[in-house]
Amino acid sequence: MGVLLTDLPPVITDWFAAKGWAPREHQLAVLESWHAKASALLIAPTGAGKTLAGFLPTLSDLVDGEFEGLHTLYISPLKALAVDVARNLTTPIAEMGLPIKVETRTGDTPASRRARQRVKPPHILLTTPEQIALLLSHPQAELLFGSLRRIVLDELHALVTSKRGELLSLALARLAKLAPDLRITALSATVARPDLLRDWIAQPLPDKPTHLLTTSGGAPPVLEILDTSQRLPWAGHSANYAHHDLYETIKLHKTTLLFVNTRSQAEMLFQGLWAINDDMLPIALHHGSLSVEQRRKVESAMVEGRLKAVVCTSTLDLGIDWGDVDLVVQVGAPKGSSRMLQRIGRANHRLDEPSKALLVPSNRFEVLECEAALEAVAESHQDSEDPITGGYDVLAQHVLGMACAEPFLADELFEEIRRAWPYRDLPRAQFDRVLDFVATGGYALRAYERYARLKKTEDGHWRIANPQVAQQYRLNIGTIVEEPMVRVRLVRGRGFKKGQTTGPIGAGGRVLGEMEEYFFGTLLIGDTFMFGGEIVAFEGMKDNEAFVSRAQASDPKIPSYMGGRFPLSTYLAERVRRIMDSPEEWTKLPDQVSDWLRLQRDISVLPRRDSLLVETFPRGAQNYMVCYPFEGRLAHQTLGMLLTRRLERARARPLGFIASEYALAIWGLGDLSGLIRTDRLSLDDLFSEDMLGDDLEDWLDESALMKRTFRNCAIIAGLIERRHPGKEKTGRQITMSSDLIYDVLYQHEPDHILIQATRHDAARGLLDIERLGDMLRRIRSHIVHKPLERVSPLAVPLMLDIGKEPIFGEGRESAMADAADELIREAMGQI
Amino acid sequence: MRFAGHNFEPLPSGALHWPGQQTLLVADLHLEKMSSFARRGQMLPPYDTGMTLARLEADLRRTGAKRLISLGDSFHRADASSLLTHSDRMRLDALTDIVDCIWLSGNHDPAPHAIGGTCLPELELAGLTLTHEPRRGAAGLISGHLHPAAHIHIEGRSTRRPCFVHDNRLMILPAYGASTGSINIMSPAFIGLFNWPGLEVTMLGRDRTYPVSPKRLVRG
Repeated sequence: MGVLLTDLPPVITDWFAAKGWAPREHQLAVLESWHAKASALLIAPTGAGKTLAGFLPTLSDLVDGEFEGLHTLYISPLKALAVDVARNLTTPIAEMGLPIKVETRTGDTPASRRARQRVKPPHILLTTPEQIALLLSHPQAELLFGSLRRIVLDELHALVTSKRGELLSLALARLAKLAPDLRITALSATVARPDLLRDWIAQPLPDKPTHLLTTSGGAPPVLEILDTSQRLPWAGHSANYAHHDLYETIKLHKTTLLFVNTRSQAEMLFQGLWAINDDMLPIALHHGSLSVEQRRKVESAMVEGRLKAVVCTSTLDLGIDWGDVDLVVQVGAPKGSSRMLQRIGRANHRLDEPSKALLVPSNRFEVLECEAALEAVAESHQDSEDPITGGYDVLAQHVLGMACAEPFLADELFEEIRRAWPYRDLPRAQFDRVLDFVATGGYALRAYERYARLKKTEDGHWRIANPQVAQQYRLNIGTIVEEPMVRVRLVRGRGFKKGQTTGPIGAGGRVLGEMEEYFFGTLLIGDTFMFGGEIVAFEGMKDNEAFVSRAQASDPKIPSYMGGRFPLSTYLAERVRRIMDSPEEWTKLPDQVSDWLRLQRDISVLPRRDSLLVETFPRGAQNYMVCYPFEGRLAHQTLGMLLTRRLERARARPLGFIASEYALAIWGLGDLSGLIRTDRLSLDDLFSEDMLGDDLEDWLDESALMKRTFRNCAIIAGLIERRHPGKEKTGRQITMSSDLIYDVLYQHEPDHILIQATRHDAARGLLDIERLGDMLRRIRSHIVHKPLERVSPLAVPLMLDIGKEPIFGEGRESAMADAADELIREAMGQI
Repeated sequence: MRFAGHNFEPLPSGALHWPGQQTLLVADLHLEKMSSFARRGQMLPPYDTGMTLARLEADLRRTGAKRLISLGDSFHRADASSLLTHSDRMRLDALTDIVDCIWLSGNHDPAPHAIGGTCLPELELAGLTLTHEPRRGAAGLISGHLHPAAHIHIEGRSTRRPCFVHDNRLMILPAYGASTGSINIMSPAFIGLFNWPGLEVTMLGRDRTYPVSPKRLVRG
């Protein structure tokens, strides 16, 4: 350690002394990097005093009050975090009596203050990636950021795996050019590849050193799986069996955070706990669909220590520190080791005391996943995602923003963009296509030269065609594209009778929150579902609102389990396969689970580590094929789509399929066991990698998931506007038109830069093609086929999900065909 | 399909073939819709007009119709015929040369356009009235304008597709243009137009059309 406490200005050391504190080692290490004129990546678990570490160099630099202009930019993924950090900074600054001005800038900051900040900035500005992009698109950017010395990036691990990280990386490349004295300090939770994160912040400053600073781990967490005497469910995600055990556990702790993976799981758990809440414990609910006011209320009650427990989704993965949480519960699959470790870190924000966490599997497969997570956490194994690279949609947005700031030369902008880590290998040809897209749409049919948004001047500079272009850009900035949402309003029930139409419903009543519009697309009036902690009945829709009434039902009719956003990590999947394949490890599993695996071994075979088990069996009038890749629901859905097409060609007459995190079941009329036995169907051919060629192409053409991905890309790239000045376009309109645009574009220019961007996103996102490809390579010529007389023990959970989960396959046409048949039967008097 | 005493053949493209009159009826082509957006700075793909014309050519070839009647909103903007690319313009000219084209006016294109064929506000043919906007209480009226779609729900599956809809007095055609969206026939825009007990709904499938039972219809 080259830096000592004495290297800090006395006013700061005095302040520490008065508090009876001493700067921690890593806080001083950040200071040392700063003195060595280096950037730094500090990797530390939550609660390690990272924020103060980030700002010590700034405070010590600004002590003498001589610095003019903007010194430090703090950028975090959450505006709530920016506001919280501002509060945590202003207190010590005031106590030390330092002449330092700190301000936040978020979407909530009044326009007048935002305008003033552009010309008369504070010393420290706390903000979000979107606001930085906005500031950089103004001609004053050079003046504003010229003086900048430091950037502090908070929660970098969360930013780099999203498009917001791409946007931020491009902004850093521009900031590095505007501010010659710039250094970056990034703060991150522990990740699998710290070296990548260091490279990520080093890329914009190639001539400057970048230090990687890591704090020692602190006390290892204490982690357990719920020990229950109850019967473990075969399938489902409700974990109803555990409510009593959980309630007792909550009573024994000061404050418990209960994490679940989806909004509907949060609803079910909250409802279940209140149903047995005889002691009227203050238990609250927190998820992204609740109204902002409701969430703020829960958060402040939490900060004040007034809550005994909060049921929440990933909305509380990041955010403000809550010192009093002494137990974290994960209900349902943990999905990944890093995710689990970060959630556990939300308990007990003191480094020297161990965090305590409880895992609650909601079905038997999840017991295996929890067991795998337990091992992984014990080894502190990290399986976080790597930073993502180079989306053309975000690049297009940035290129337009740069043109709004000032006219640019393509050569210079290209060089600058390659200093953003995600775009470090961007080929020039692709950059030129993006530029062409921004200017005129980038179509082979050059129909739009006369409407060009960017025009090339005689000296080769690209400039915006008119001021409206900049205006449009600023309204469409950012990479977060919301699903079209509708407000859910509670109205008085009017004694719904089946078959009646509602007629107009009086508005009024309390807004419970918001929900994805597509959910209501499938509801019939009178259908019940869970929302805001109660069971409600759908009463109708009007404009952008869904009306619901309180329902008397004890079980909601519509389960609305939409699957979590995060798939099972490759690492945990590998461990689950290993546990299954190692009967000597089963002793640590509950008897119910080890009995289940033994039964599978006796009746069928167990899935092995390095092969793929495929079972075929008849059931009812149909034949089933079940395989166990353990690659997550998204990859399985894609696999199901592609296999169904192939089975159709093989005349196995497939009817539908269902995918879970662990397995995939396809059913049809053809005798699958017989087809395989007589070599009319080869499993090696069926599962061969070339399905990712033509079959994938054919399917992408009409895939709803591709269309949804395209919509996001098109909005981010500025092809479709989020909103017009003055009038907000409704989400519905955007969805409709973006589907049409996709159809038209995919047919005529399947190689268009936006289709490329869509494929790139789909490959790692909703379709998870990358993972599917890895799996198909792994199991090549390692397929174990087991024909059976009846369903196998391992296949039971999936069979139980049929009917509860959406079924895929030839849904579109067959639904119409069935409705048409029904009409014919009706006409012939058969119904 | 039987409507107001005549036989019709609904095509999966959204066109309505009237064999008795050797006529093809289409509604809401909205040609040059995407380029109208480009003019405002949204560079949507300039291929929609070409796609719509290709569909029309195929339908005319298949049915051998001698006459084409477009029920209004043929162009997305009144001046859109001047935006046509050279090749699209050639295609359209070739089309108006081969068949007798009648362009009824719509709210998007109220004035006659400067392309081949005849522009009319409305047309009477074989006792039926052809016009752009549907009217309540009319008998034997064929129109477009509303871009009808049906959303059905059956045994856990659901599908939403454009559709033909009629009650034997009023028929509304689906929008034909490659760039057109659709509105659910359960939505307020359709209130009061149809006599529901006699409603016939025919959805557009991939290669055929499907008459479906109205009791399967859902909103959204």
